[in-house]
Amino acid sequence: MLRLESVTKNFGAMTAVDSIDLEVPKGQLLGVIGRSGAGKSTLLRMINRLGESSSGKILYEDDGTTIDVNSLSGQDLRNWRSQCAMIFQQFNLVLRLNVITNVLMGRINYNSMLKTMFVMFSPAERAFAIRALDRLDVSGQALQRADTLSGGQQQRVAIARALVQEPKILLADEPIASLDPRNAQIVMDALYKINKEDGITVICNLHTLDTAKKYCDRVIGMKLGKMIFDGHPSELTDEMARDIYMGGDEEDEEFSAAITSTTL
Amino acid sequence: MSVSVSDLTPEMIAADRERFPRVFSLTTGDRILRTILWVGTAAFIIYSLNRFGFFSERFWGAFPRLGIMIDQMFPPTGWQYMGEYVDAIGETLSMAFIGSLVGGILAIPFACVASKNLMPIRPIQFGARRFADVLRASDYLIWGLIFVRAMGLGPVPGIMAIIVIDTGILITLYSEALENIDRKPIDGIKAAGGSRIQVLRYGVMPQVLPVILSNALYMFESNTRAATILGIVGAGGIGFLLSDNLRAFEFSNALTIILMIIAVVYAIDYLSKVLRERFIYGDRVSQGHDRPMERIAAQMKK
Repeated sequence: MLRLESVTKNFGAMTAVDSIDLEVPKGQLLGVIGRSGAGKSTLLRMINRLGESSSGKILYEDDGTTIDVNSLSGQDLRNWRSQCAMIFQQFNLVLRLNVITNVLMGRINYNSMLKTMFVMFSPAERAFAIRALDRLDVSGQALQRADTLSGGQQQRVAIARALVQEPKILLADEPIASLDPRNAQIVMDALYKINKEDGITVICNLHTLDTAKKYCDRVIGMKLGKMIFDGHPSELTDEMARDIYMGGDEEDEEFSAAITSTTL
Repeated sequence: MSVSVSDLTPEMIAADRERFPRVFSLTTGDRILRTILWVGTAAFIIYSLNRFGFFSERFWGAFPRLGIMIDQMFPPTGWQYMGEYVDAIGETLSMAFIGSLVGGILAIPFACVASKNLMPIRPIQFGARRFADVLRASDYLIWGLIFVRAMGLGPVPGIMAIIVIDTGILITLYSEALENIDRKPIDGIKAAGGSRIQVLRYGVMPQVLPVILSNALYMFESNTRAATILGIVGAGGIGFLLSDNLRAFEFSNALTIILMIIAVVYAIDYLSKVLRERFIYGDRVSQGHDRPMERIAAQMKK
């Protein structure tokens, strides 16, 4: 179980994430919704320590042991990051390397420094990487350079990279915001399957309401750094959604209908 | 499904190797190519080292003498000539500044002629590009030698050398910037009924001005370094004093000059960087388009 206790992030005078309390049970598919700038990315990045929190506690409890995420450093921190894989809006692959090397990158924390410097991964790891690509239906591209792939394929490679990390948690930061509707569906279906089949906890930032409603076990809504909704997707009424997505200024009133009704 | 790496049996791995042999090992062709590349590189390294006598007595005998010279440099001396040194550095800086200024301005009309989108007559555009190539083809020192022969010792041939190279490089850089401008705003101005000149003023200029300024400033930075060296071929400035002192075996005076050059070059580099960041790209908030929070915070700070 992942537990956040009054986690806060300040950027100068601005509070990006404001005292979030949250418990995410193992195996849950949690959607985080809100407008851009609501603090969703910042929240996610604090969980794997790509960003430091200003105050509060992030705890991970599993098999009777508790990890205090904010106190980790060095090898412990790298271990935690590999346990807590992340995929990004812009995929963040190394475009000049081929697909299989990008996926094997998910194994770097399991190998010695020297071996990884010379791209020496064991046959078992290579087979594992191929199998991950198989699951996402992109193994045919294994030897192509990553920049020859379409956005949807790149995101699937990124998910394969996350999978070979054998993570406990998968953080997805706007994974479909740069994709067309069909690819967005493929990627969301893949995340859903991974969550159900492997029991990996998935925390997914989403722009759109419909996607959250379709895939998530639970949704939290963020606005100006605060968590203003936490519940089952079915409890997310139109009124609540409007509250999450609107800032109060008049032009937002016009936009709200469009935002909340976008499919995927 | 959830299989872990350790669950994979040798049979499963073998099956995957069957399907994707190149994921597991290099092909024979790749292996041979790689070996040839390594052996070839090693052979060329050995040839080059041998070519300048790396394996001879003479090569290794030179290092102790270098040590003696460095030893004689310390402590730096010649503080009584400080006035002269500062004056010479002033001359070097003026050479670099005037050269960069004239070159930076001179390059603008040539760059327009050298841009495909502004000069429709291909032979002229091509000619302008090749003209720029000729100007920047040789080094500062070569032009410096030519102008010193023609015009005599002093800073003027140095300035000429800088102008020539600066213009040559900037024609190329400017015209590339001009060719890379976005067509969309130009269509926007045209659609508003703009004339050719108005299109240049509002569609082209705002797009290229930052690039022009930043390149010209960068060239000033690089010309400062070049101007110190130009003195060595007789084109005045601090380089002239430096080569004089080295020829007269005044190594400790030379060290003082070298230290001063380093300080000045460093100061100019720093100044130019600050100017470029503050005034030319100042309106851009760095990076992070996928991190709106940090972007907003950065904007608020300003």
